[in-house]
Order: sequence, then C-alpha cells, then structure tokens
Amino acid sequence: MAVELYFFQPLGTNSGRVFLALLEKGVPFLERELDGLAFEHLRPEYLAINPRGQVPALIHDGRPLTEGAPICEYIDEAFGGPPLRPAGLEERCNMRGWCRYLDVDLGRAVMMIHWNRIVPAFVGARSREEVQSIIARVPDPDRRRAWRRAYLQETTPEELAESRRRIEAGSGRIEQALARTPWLAGAAFSLADIDLLSFYAFLAKWSPEFVNERATPRTMDWIGRMEERPAVRELRARSRIPQRPPMLERAVATASA
Amino acid sequence: MLELFHAEPTGDSARVLIVLEEKVLEFRGHYVDVLALEQYRPPLVDLAPRGDIPVLVRDGAASVGASAVCELLEEAYPERPLMPTGARERWCVRAWQKHVDDILASAVSELAWQAYAERSLPPPARAELEARLERIVPAEERARWRTALAGYGEEQLARAHARVEDTVARVEAALEQAEWLAGPAFSLADVAVFAYFKYLPALGGARLSESEAPRALAWLRAISERPAVRGALARGRAKDPFSTATPAPEQIRWG
Repeated sequence: MAVELYFFQPLGTNSGRVFLALLEKGVPFLERELDGLAFEHLRPEYLAINPRGQVPALIHDGRPLTEGAPICEYIDEAFGGPPLRPAGLEERCNMRGWCRYLDVDLGRAVMMIHWNRIVPAFVGARSREEVQSIIARVPDPDRRRAWRRAYLQETTPEELAESRRRIEAGSGRIEQALARTPWLAGAAFSLADIDLLSFYAFLAKWSPEFVNERATPRTMDWIGRMEERPAVRELRARSRIPQRPPMLERAVATASA
Repeated sequence: MLELFHAEPTGDSARVLIVLEEKVLEFRGHYVDVLALEQYRPPLVDLAPRGDIPVLVRDGAASVGASAVCELLEEAYPERPLMPTGARERWCVRAWQKHVDDILASAVSELAWQAYAERSLPPPARAELEARLERIVPAEERARWRTALAGYGEEQLARAHARVEDTVARVEAALEQAEWLAGPAFSLADVAVFAYFKYLPALGGARLSESEAPRALAWLRAISERPAVRGALARGRAKDPFSTATPAPEQIRWG
C-alpha cells in the first residue's frame, strides 16, 4: 500500500523533517500537500486523519501516524535504506536530546518570532471576525492560543526578547557541537541533523544576525554540506520556494508595499 | 556500571527508577535533594550543566532526558522488554512519551507544586533557598524557580487542569482498546504516564474517578502493585513521595 505524506509548504519544521527523513531513506511516497493559508488542515477530511488538525501525518499500511519526532523514528525503523540514528547507545540518546531541544525549545523560540511577524500579514485580507472564527476552529488548545496571540499581537516584548536570547544561546551550543563532531549528534549523520535543518538552519537566510560566516562558521560549513546531500537537493527541488518560507515572502512583500 | 542520580521517586525520576527495577538491573542510586539545589553543584553540574534530573551514568557516560534514558536502558538491556517489537506499536510508545514530556509533566507538576509546596519547602527552607538562588541556579533556570516560588497563576493552573483532564480522557480511551496504553504489553508508555498520574487521586479535581475513568483507575492500581514499581517508589526519603513536589518543568513556550 502506498505511503502518503500530508504536509505544508514551506518544507520546514515538522513537515520538513518528515519529508526529508523519507527522502534520506529513499522511501517513495505520495505528496498530499495541504494549503495552510487556506486552512485546509481544519477541513473534516483532514480532521478524520488527524483530529488535532496538525501536519504532518504519514499514512502507512492504510493507517495514519502523527507527531513529527515519533514519525521520524518510525520511518527509520519501518523502512530499509541508510540508518538515520547512531549505532552507539549514548550517541543515540544524545541525538534524541538534540531532536527534543530543537523541536520544543529552540524551534519554538524561532517559531514565536516568526509567527508574530507573519500571521497578521498573511491573514490580513480577511476580516477580523472571519480570522477569529477560523482560529476558534483550531482543535489543539495550545496551537489555538498561539494563533490568537500572534494574530492579536499579544506576545510581550519580554517574551520575544527571551526567544531571541534562546536563539543566541542555542546558536552557541550548536556551533560548539559542530566544532567537536562533523554532524550534530556525533560522527554520523542523523535525525538530529534533519531537525537542525528543519527547525533552525533557515535562519542563515532569514535572520542572518544569528547565523553567519563570522559568528557561526561551523554551522555555515554544516549547512553547505547539508545542501549538497542528494536528499536535501531533492527536498529543495520539490519545494516551491526554496529560499525563504513563502509566508515570510508574503509578509515581507506586504510590509514593503 | 550503572549509576542513577535521582530525586524523590515521582515524575521523571520515577520513570527511570521503574525501568531499572523492571529490568532487575543492578545500579547505584544517588538521592539528589532538588530543593537544596544539589543538582546545580558538583558532581552533578559537571554531568548535566543545566540541572537535569535524573542523570544516568553508564560506564562513565552521563545521559539525561527521561524518555531518551528509558529508551537507552531498553536498547542496552533488551531482556524483560518494555518496548513492543512492531514499528507502529513503538511509534505509539514514543507518541505517549512525547505527550508526557510536552504536556503532562508540566501540568501535573504545577498542580502538585500548588498543593505541596508549603509542605515540601517550609518557610525557613524557603528563605534559605531564595537567598541562594542568585548564586547557585544558572541564569536561564532562575525564572522557572522564581515563578514557582511566587506560585503559579490562576490561568496557568486552569490550563494545567484542562491538560490533565484531556490526558485522563485519552488514557481511558486507549485502555478501551487494549490492556496497556500501547497494546497488549506493559511498556515505557505506561511507565511514563503512571509516574505523573500517581499524583492525581490525592490532588482531586482531575476526574480520575471510578465513575468517569474506571479503566484508568484500575490501570493505575495495577501498576502501583507491580513489585518493581513498589521497589522504585521506596527509593525516596519521603514516606509518600507523591505528597512532595518540586518546581515544575517549563511549559512549551509557543503552541
């Protein structure tokens, strides 16, 4: 039975990590792209697949799997192809620590800043009532709260400053790790590198004040090596807008208009 | 050789202790008094600079993060398995562990701290801790301590209640499908949820009741009676570890 992936453009964060894990393993799959800007992930057809209304969802053997990090480990265990987790047990534990940190700490700091910048712009054409009624349909309470806070610009300057502090601290940690080993979790490429690309590396283009040749040379070198990987090239080729998240393009266009 | 630095056997410390006991592994346990800030001082600060507890040391290598450490123990000592063999069932275990790490751990810990902070940290000890906070706790950890010492706000506690209720409903639904959370065998998923759910009956208000969640309640009792679990829960200093609390881990900051 065919493998299907429900995901969003841009190919970043949770959609990106699963998409890239499939490409790195060489698993053929059907692309089921949902339009986040049209809120397709809140339609009943998709809620039947994931009642929480979040992407990605992977369909394998006719049944759905959700949650980015557990899906990635599933992909490594359920399909052939090169291993995406280190063989050494402590290294594997270290990899899981990085994946978790990138997903729920550093990645969320990036996301908080990103959403606050773009959400008002990309829903701007709709009336306030329409946007609020769409947000009220988001099933997950935390996600709903994040949408509302970004749309109403309720995030405080202190919270945003704390996110910037975390990105700076995280950038230092990542740079140190990449000074010790060629890949984030050790000598071997792993899911930690996939997550670093998906949750963080786009800052080099998007927020170069954090990630640049002078401040984070090892990270820039790692990005160069990642971009040469056949699976990452394939990811870029399949992504409609490879340079910057499209929602950001739109926000930038709106801001400069 | 295995060593575990752990706090009172609740939450994440209980998760790893239960796995060690279920697998009948020999290990040296070191009790860490979290409210005395021992996790931020040597020897622990050299093993886990951010004050993570518990810390597993295996042949000299330190590992942190309860889910990752439980999986490490499973991979290193596969006898008496606590992970299913099928990829989909293993995904299910990991999804539960993630739910505990992301949602349940902070929610239950906030409610427990609200209920037991005063008992766990009487005024003289509290004054001493406040005096030492600046000097001993790493800068990025201080806000979490200060928030706990000030007491969690109403909105945060209401959110914690809602999260716990949602999890109770999910557990009840899962136990309608199978004997254990991830299928026919007891697994790391049960260990992870149990280590926090064990707080709930005494905290009240969480709908873990005979009428609303009979399966979850029976499941909780069955796990409490496992010899390995009894052994793990006896490794603290408190008579009832689930009537003590420490400041909650940070909630995920953005949805």
